[in-house]
Amino acid sequence: MAIIQTKDLTKIYTIGRNKTVVGLNHLNLTIEEGELFGILGPNGSGKTTCLKLLLGTLFPTSGEAYIMGKTPYDVEMKQHVGFLPENPYYYEYLTGKELLLFYGKLFDIDKEVLKEKIEELLKLVGLENTKKLSLRHYSKGMLERIGLAASLINDPKILILDEPTTGLDPIGCRDTRNLLIQLKDAGKTILLSSHFLSEVERVCTRIAILHKGVLLTTGKLDELMDKYKSVNLEDLFIKTIDEYEEKIQTQGVAQ
Amino acid sequence: MKKTWILAWNTVRESFRKKTTYIIILFALIMIAASEFFAFLSAQEQTKMIMDTSFAVIEFFGFLLAMFGSITAVSSEIEKRTIYTLLTKPITRTNFILGKYLGMFFILLINFVIMTIFFLLLIHFKKIPINIAIFKTLFLIFMELLVIASISLALATFTSDAFNIIASCFLYIIGHLTSYGRQVIEMTKNIVIKGLADMMYTILPNYQNFSIRDKVVVGIPVPWQYVLIVTGYGIMYIVIALLIGIYFFRTREI
Amino acid sequence: MKQKIWPILLIAILLFIPLGFIQNQINYETVADNLQTNLVLMPGEAGDMVLAGFKGIAADLLWINVENYWHRGEHFKMIPLFYMVTLLQPHWILAWSLGGWHMAYNVPAGVKNIQGKYYWYQQGIQFLKKGVSYNSSRYDLYFETGWTYYNKGEDYSNAVKYLKQAVIYPGPDYVKDVLAHAYEKDGHINQAIKEWKKLLHTDFKGVAKRMIYDLNTRGWATP
Repeated sequence: MAIIQTKDLTKIYTIGRNKTVVGLNHLNLTIEEGELFGILGPNGSGKTTCLKLLLGTLFPTSGEAYIMGKTPYDVEMKQHVGFLPENPYYYEYLTGKELLLFYGKLFDIDKEVLKEKIEELLKLVGLENTKKLSLRHYSKGMLERIGLAASLINDPKILILDEPTTGLDPIGCRDTRNLLIQLKDAGKTILLSSHFLSEVERVCTRIAILHKGVLLTTGKLDELMDKYKSVNLEDLFIKTIDEYEEKIQTQGVAQ
Repeated sequence: MKKTWILAWNTVRESFRKKTTYIIILFALIMIAASEFFAFLSAQEQTKMIMDTSFAVIEFFGFLLAMFGSITAVSSEIEKRTIYTLLTKPITRTNFILGKYLGMFFILLINFVIMTIFFLLLIHFKKIPINIAIFKTLFLIFMELLVIASISLALATFTSDAFNIIASCFLYIIGHLTSYGRQVIEMTKNIVIKGLADMMYTILPNYQNFSIRDKVVVGIPVPWQYVLIVTGYGIMYIVIALLIGIYFFRTREI
Repeated sequence: MKQKIWPILLIAILLFIPLGFIQNQINYETVADNLQTNLVLMPGEAGDMVLAGFKGIAADLLWINVENYWHRGEHFKMIPLFYMVTLLQPHWILAWSLGGWHMAYNVPAGVKNIQGKYYWYQQGIQFLKKGVSYNSSRYDLYFETGWTYYNKGEDYSNAVKYLKQAVIYPGPDYVKDVLAHAYEKDGHINQAIKEWKKLLHTDFKGVAKRMIYDLNTRGWATP
C-alpha cells in the first residue's frame, strides 16, 4: 500500500474578486514506503501547496490526500510524521534543547528516552555545543539544522521536507544529503520538495515534476532520463516543461 | 488534555521571557504606589482614593495584559510561522486554542497575584482594614480579565492584530456602558429597535456586571449570590468565545 | 475533505440564550441588592461616559478640587463639584454630608444679606434630602439633615422628623442624644425623656441622667 497518496488533489486559490489561481490541478501521486521521493518544479508550481495539503494546514478544493491511509487531520498518523518547513522559524526565546524538549513532549515520548534522543540528535546535526544558546542568536544554517533535529525527534516513519537545502553552504548540503540517505537506508520514507536539481539528482529514487499546479511526469529518475533522452536532471526538467508548454499552445486550453 | 497543558506552559514561558510583560507590571505597581500621593487628604478620603486608584489600575493594566497577551499568543505563531511546525505535531487545532487560553489564564493569574499582593501590602501599611469585600472585588476583576482574554483570543483566530486591538478596546468601553444603553433603550417605544437592542445587549460582553468596586469602596455590601451569578456569566461567555475561536481556527488555512 | 465543524459555531450561538437568562438574573440581583448604577446625565456626558468604568476615579479627581477650593476659601466653586461627585457616586456618604455642611454653614458665612444666607441654608438642606433619597437605608444622611435643621435652622419639628428616621437604622448613640434635644426643643418633653432613658445604658448615661432630672423637675434641660 502506498504510504502517501493523493487522488485528484486540487487547490484553487481565490484572490480578490472573481480572480482565481490554480495551486494544484488534479494531482495523482503515489509514494511507496522506503522511497526517497523528490517533488520538483519552478517557483509557484505547487510544491509547497502539495505539502501543505498533505500536512493539513491547507484544505483542498476537491480530491483527497492520505498518509498511511489516514487523512491529513488524523492526530494518530502525525505521531509518525516529521516535518521541516521552508525557512524554518522557531521560538526565539527558547534554546535548542528546550525546543526539542517541547516538541518531544507533544509526541508522548518518555522523559528519559526523550532526553537521550535530544543529546543524540544535537550531536547528529552538530549543535551539541550550543545547547544553552537561544534560537534568537542562531544563524540560518543553525536554524535549518535544529529544524532537522526537531523533525526527527519522534523517530518518524515519514519525513517531509520543504526545500531542505535552502540557505545551506555546500558542506551543509553535503551533510544533509548524507543524512537523508542514511535515513532512507534505515527504512524511512522521505518526501522532499526542492528546486536545487543537483541535490535532488544525488539522493532521490523517484521524482515528480510539477509545473503550474500540474503533474508533468513522475517515475524513477533513470527511467525518466531515458524516456526524455536527457543527460541530467536539469535537462529532463527543461524538456518536460517545454513539452507541456507546447501542448498548451497547440491545444489552446490549460487543464 | 496533557498536550493542552504543554502548549499552555510554552505560552506562559514565552510571556515571561518577553520584556513587555515586565514593563506593564512595573507601570502597574508604580501607579498603585502613586496613590500614596493623596497623603494630604483626610484618612477617610485617602482610603477611598487609594482603593479606587488601585482597583482601577489593576483592572486597566490587567486589560492590557489580557488583550495584548491573547493577540500575540496567536498572531506571533502565525507571523513567525512557528505554527506550521506546531500543527504538524500530533495536536489538534482545538488543543492549540485551549492551550493558548490556558496559558493566558496562568499569565493573568501570576500578574494579578503580584499586583494584588502589592496592593494589599500598601493598604495594610496604610492601616486600611482588609475585608472580604476587597477580595470579592478582586475576584470579579480577575473574572473580567479572563473574559477579555477569551474574546481577544477568539478575535485573533480570524482578524488582523490592528482590528483586534480596536475591537477589543471598543468592546471594553461599550461593555462598561451596556447597562446605561439598556436604560436608554427602555425609554424607546419602537419595538424593532428595542428587539435589536436587546439582542445586542445579550451578545455584547457586559463588563459592568463585574464592576462592583464603586459600590464596595463606599461600603455597600455585595452578597455572595451576586458574585456567584456573575462568575457563571463569565464562565459561560468564555465558553462561547472559545467555541467561536475554535471554529474559526479549525476552518483557517495557514 | 473538510470536517463538519459548523456544529461548534451553532452551539456557540445557541449558548447566548442561556447567557441571556443569566444576565436577566444578574439584573434582578443588581436591583435586589441595591447595586444599580444610575444613568448619569450631566453636561459633558461624553467625558463621563468614557470614565463610566472608572467613576470612582472621576469622583476622586473632582473631590481633590473640592479640597483645593476649600483651602483657598473659594466656597462657591465647590458647589457644582458636590453635585457632580454625588451624581457619579450617589452612595458616597461623605460627599453628601460635606456638601450639605458647606452649603448650609460655610457659604452663608461669606454672604452679607439675610436672604442670601437663608437661601444657602435651604440649598444645603435640599442637597442633604436628595442624599437621603439615594441612601435611605442608613442613618447617616437622615442624621445630617436632622442636625442641620436643629443646629443651623433651629427648625425643631423638621429636625425631629429626620432624626426619628435616623434612629431606626443602626448608628452611634449621639443620634439618639440629638433626637432627645430636638424633641425637647420642639415641646415634646415626654418623648425627650423617653429618648434619654434609652441612653441610660450607654456612654451618654451621665448626660441622660441629668437631662431626665432637669426635664422632670423644671421642664427644660437644653439651654
